[in-house]
Amino acid sequence: MRCAEIEQRIGALADGELVEAEARDVEEHLRSCPACRAAHERVLALRTALEQHAPPLAAPDRLRAAVHARLETAASVSRRPVAWRWLAAAATLVAAIGGTWQVATTVSDGRALADQVLASHVRSLMPGHLTDVASTDQHTVKPWFNGRLDYSPAVSDFAGAGFPLIGGRLDYVGGRPVAALVYGRRQHMIDVLLWPTESGTRAGPASLTRQGYHLLHWVGPQYTYWVVSDLATPELRQFSELLQRAEAATYR
Amino acid sequence: MEQDPIERFEAVALPHLDAAYTLARYLMRDDAAAQDVVQEAFLRALKYFDRFRGGDARAWVLAIVRNTSHSWRRRQGDRPVEFDERVHSASVEEHTPEAALLRSADREMVRRALDRLPLELREVIVLREIQGLSYKEIAGVAGIPIGTVMSRLSRARARLEQVLGALAGRE
Repeated sequence: MRCAEIEQRIGALADGELVEAEARDVEEHLRSCPACRAAHERVLALRTALEQHAPPLAAPDRLRAAVHARLETAASVSRRPVAWRWLAAAATLVAAIGGTWQVATTVSDGRALADQVLASHVRSLMPGHLTDVASTDQHTVKPWFNGRLDYSPAVSDFAGAGFPLIGGRLDYVGGRPVAALVYGRRQHMIDVLLWPTESGTRAGPASLTRQGYHLLHWVGPQYTYWVVSDLATPELRQFSELLQRAEAATYR
Repeated sequence: MEQDPIERFEAVALPHLDAAYTLARYLMRDDAAAQDVVQEAFLRALKYFDRFRGGDARAWVLAIVRNTSHSWRRRQGDRPVEFDERVHSASVEEHTPEAALLRSADREMVRRALDRLPLELREVIVLREIQGLSYKEIAGVAGIPIGTVMSRLSRARARLEQVLGALAGRE
């Protein structure tokens, strides 16, 4: 065999991809040809360098947990009853909201907003509507809103506390486009809708439960929040405290 | 009782999460992007799980990760490879390094040399040398003929040898 033919087969020999007869022919040529032998040596040396310095990697725990959370979410969404039943329930929300609401806004404003927030959440649970930007990285989600909103929402990740960031999307609530941040908690989805607080207003957290969904609302120093999920209220409050603490940390 | 399809999917795909991350990490050259790619890939895999007819689950997962990585890079626009005059100068390109020099390369050199490869060359060398796939498996994952796998591996090795030779030779 001539060198030109051998050259193409050296890599295949090193990769164990030659049939036995061909491998023997190439090896025989290598024994008598220094140039081709050196080429073969280089392939093996490169292999050594890669084995040492570019090994296979283990998926970080964070990634493993995030993939799990997303799959569990997909599982719970696919197991839900048909979406139209929930939309019908959301439509009756307007009548149901009454004097239990205690926020700085008027009762009718609160009623309309809660209705829209819940509808946004229910809609998001339909396939393909959960996020516009699916990322657990707050440094990917936060800038995604640039150019899409007239404000930049605060985005934190609470994966360490068991509430991983799943992504974000644009939604339309209260007559304006708003940021919706999606978090996970085991198989539950939590929507956080937030927009800049109008100066002078503050209101402590108020809670509301309708049709199996829990809503929490408060007006913070920088942002006004609505949090909605089927997660139980105590855990939702725990999550809200994380949001409040994160806002306080950046506000200083 | 029929096994929940999500559970079935997890049993098939999750064992290959490490391999998925390995491929994504070397292709994307960035940890955060790699993690996002893997998440998106697993959701896509779940969506298309009914098309998986058994067989090599690792290759199936890796093919989805590979395609997701390519889509991702297209969407974001490839970051330009840093141009190093000493590496790309004509005299260096003619130089074929000795095996000993290649073996002396350190981690930073090896990673940098890999990062400099064009994506279609980097993916075949990663699948072959880092993840140990056969030519046939690589052809399946990358969606190219086996002949193309061989020629790209050859070019990838030649390129890596040149770059590593230049980087190691500077020391």
